[in-house]
Amino acid sequence: MSMDQALQTYIEESRGLLEEMESILLRLETEPQDEDTVNAMFRAAHTIKGSAGLFGLDAIVSFTHVVENVLDKVRDGELLVNDALVELLLKCCDHIGLLVTIVAEAGEALDTEQAATGEALAAALKSMIGGAGVLDATMPAVHEARLDASGGGQLEGDNWHLSLIFGRDVLKTGMDPTSFIRYLSTIGDIVSLVTDDSALPGLSELDPESCYLTFEIEFKSEADKQTIEAVFEFVQYDIKLRILPPPSHLAAFIDRIEHASGNTDMLGQLLIEAGILTSHELDGALSAQEEMMGQDSGAKLPIGEVLVKEGVVHKEIVDVALEKQRQIRDTKAQEAKFVRVSAEKLDELINLVGELVIAGAGASLQAQRSGDVALHESTSVVSGLVEEIRDGALKLRMVEIGETFNRFQRVVRDVSRELGKEIGLEISGAETELDKTVVEKIGDPLMHLVRNAMDHGIESAEARVAAGKAAKGTLRLNAYHDSGSIVIEVADDGGGLKKERILKKAVERGIISPGQSLSDSEIYNLIFEAGFSTADQVTNLSGRGVGMDVVKRNIQALRGTVDIESAEGRGTTVRIRLPLTLAIIDGFLVGVGKSAFVVPLDMVLECIELPETDRRAADTRNYVNLRGEVLPFVRLRDQFEVNAAAGKRENIVVVQYGGQKAGFVVDELMGEFQTVIKPLGNVFRHLRGISGSTILGTGEVALILDVPALVKLAVAREGQMTEKAA
Amino acid sequence: MAKTIMVVDDSASLRQVVSIALKGAGFDVIEGCDGKDALSKITGQKIHLIISDVNMPNMDGITFVKEVKKMANYKFTPIIMLTTESQEAKKQEGQAAGAKAWVVKPFQPAQMLAAVSKLILP
Repeated sequence: MSMDQALQTYIEESRGLLEEMESILLRLETEPQDEDTVNAMFRAAHTIKGSAGLFGLDAIVSFTHVVENVLDKVRDGELLVNDALVELLLKCCDHIGLLVTIVAEAGEALDTEQAATGEALAAALKSMIGGAGVLDATMPAVHEARLDASGGGQLEGDNWHLSLIFGRDVLKTGMDPTSFIRYLSTIGDIVSLVTDDSALPGLSELDPESCYLTFEIEFKSEADKQTIEAVFEFVQYDIKLRILPPPSHLAAFIDRIEHASGNTDMLGQLLIEAGILTSHELDGALSAQEEMMGQDSGAKLPIGEVLVKEGVVHKEIVDVALEKQRQIRDTKAQEAKFVRVSAEKLDELINLVGELVIAGAGASLQAQRSGDVALHESTSVVSGLVEEIRDGALKLRMVEIGETFNRFQRVVRDVSRELGKEIGLEISGAETELDKTVVEKIGDPLMHLVRNAMDHGIESAEARVAAGKAAKGTLRLNAYHDSGSIVIEVADDGGGLKKERILKKAVERGIISPGQSLSDSEIYNLIFEAGFSTADQVTNLSGRGVGMDVVKRNIQALRGTVDIESAEGRGTTVRIRLPLTLAIIDGFLVGVGKSAFVVPLDMVLECIELPETDRRAADTRNYVNLRGEVLPFVRLRDQFEVNAAAGKRENIVVVQYGGQKAGFVVDELMGEFQTVIKPLGNVFRHLRGISGSTILGTGEVALILDVPALVKLAVAREGQMTEKAA
Repeated sequence: MAKTIMVVDDSASLRQVVSIALKGAGFDVIEGCDGKDALSKITGQKIHLIISDVNMPNMDGITFVKEVKKMANYKFTPIIMLTTESQEAKKQEGQAAGAKAWVVKPFQPAQMLAAVSKLILP
């Protein structure tokens, strides 16, 4: 007799036993609880299981084992036979039959649906055993919920885990624990339910009006923790409830903690915000914490540890939350270090530092002249410190632009919804610093530009897709330092400006005359003219034709400039250039005759000597060849009518502003110099090419050059000369 | 046999709406217009659930609940109290008296049915 034959025998035998079980079950429906029949059924299951073990049929063994356990309870009278149980056991018979057939046909393993059915049945059986009779009346509902779910092929283990520890007196208040469990199954599927009756006393001590049972439930649901907790709302004072989220939720929770708003640095609040903890759970943990402290009369256990100990939250989550808490505290600590100082005091300080810089420069000069090496050394140390103090004092007024930028996240979100467009905001250069007063005043113009870009710049999703672009539009806010100014860019990847339309409109509105020839950038800048609007429709966001010229005026009031760059079909970039408005700058001191001038150092590119040939040609042209590049220059001697003969040599200071280079012809290069800007009085306001003055160490006055204006002048003149020559 | 719910509220319209909803869900309903009236209608029959307002003439809900809890037959009958947001203190008072469940007024019939179904089956 071979193993194959034995297996064949087993298959036939099992089928016979299953048939027997089935007929017994059907009989039980009509004449319940005949001890012999139940016994026979138990034996049948036992035999199927035992023999399967011999053949190594593990699937049959493990499943039948559960069936056997249930039947054992029935045999012992612990479990009452009812329709639901019979129904369940019949299904189990079918399943065992299926398993046997697979063995008989040497077929593949169960398909997922069958496997799920098996697991569902097993779980239902297990909960039967846990139910131990007391719950008979309500168990069917629980099982049905489970059976309904069985077709879904759910993943084992990825479920909520609920521990329900009802208070002893819960029944006395008219609350039935099982009714809550039944209600629970309306918001999800109870995968398994295990009743812990270990607290159940002997019959003599048992108080029938007390609840001794606790329940462990595997619960599959899409509901969130609050919803699940709300099921037990009515027994909240009579239950110790633990709700552990499914493992698959952990990553999502961790993600949520990491992106918490930072409104709170309390661990519990952090967890509540992320939806991991409910406030009720937190209250429980806090009182548990108090209790523990009372017991140990020692140090207070951290709430995180209490939560883990109480089994309310997974340890991994607490760890992540603690890390986040630390981060938030760090930022809070930084915030806490801020001291509010009135702007007046700050200005006063900066003025004084300015005076200190000047006095320091004077002392250095005296030391240099005296030729006393020791004195010279001391003053140079003092100068170094003064420089640091200057930088520190100026930084007091500098703030990062990031906060202003971040406000637009919300604006972009809201406005894009309002417009029905999908628009994302990208921020870069958030750490760029600029003067606080400027930051405060730049908000409104930026708001106009952002709204305008979203309303008119970025097209509708359909138009974007039609143009072969991503349906989601992107708006970029960028800030960076460039040659002593800060540049703020508002860029969109929308349709770009349409030149013809702008021109047509500008002619219509009488801003330009027809036939006037304009460069691209001049055309684009027309949109900043008062009363200009190309939008076909006026929306409530923008398009009233008041936005853009107000933007320009606001920026000009900050001594800034705005220009626009656009590529049709690809987008538009608006560039705002603002001075850093520093009261003290690093300057480059140059001399023309006996006069001294200061060029802001961060605009200086290089210094070259003006070659003799160019000096001679300088009367006819105002440019030199700088390594193959045309460099227009301005003779400061002529510009400011300095009455002194030209020196033997002349130098060119090459400066750059707004992407254009120019040279200043000077006699002498005197090097770096800390420059305290003294604004010019009202009388001198109309002066071109001078932006302020400063006092040198010797007590003399030096004028600070207005580089942007002079560069413009040089470029314009060079153009005129070339035209004339042509 | 359908389970019986007693609805106690001095507002006739509220009683009607709640009754319609509960009857629709398969319950029998006994109505009481205040605590005193409700007590007089409790005559030893099986009542599976009591829904009672707090603020009522003749006998308020808290007293009514206390009276019900004194009766041996109704000691274990679950009670839902109808409270308003501002009655946190009343809610606690009701809980102390023995009403552990509550529904906050104003409520939709569906909310009431959800609360009922947490406690008993039709």
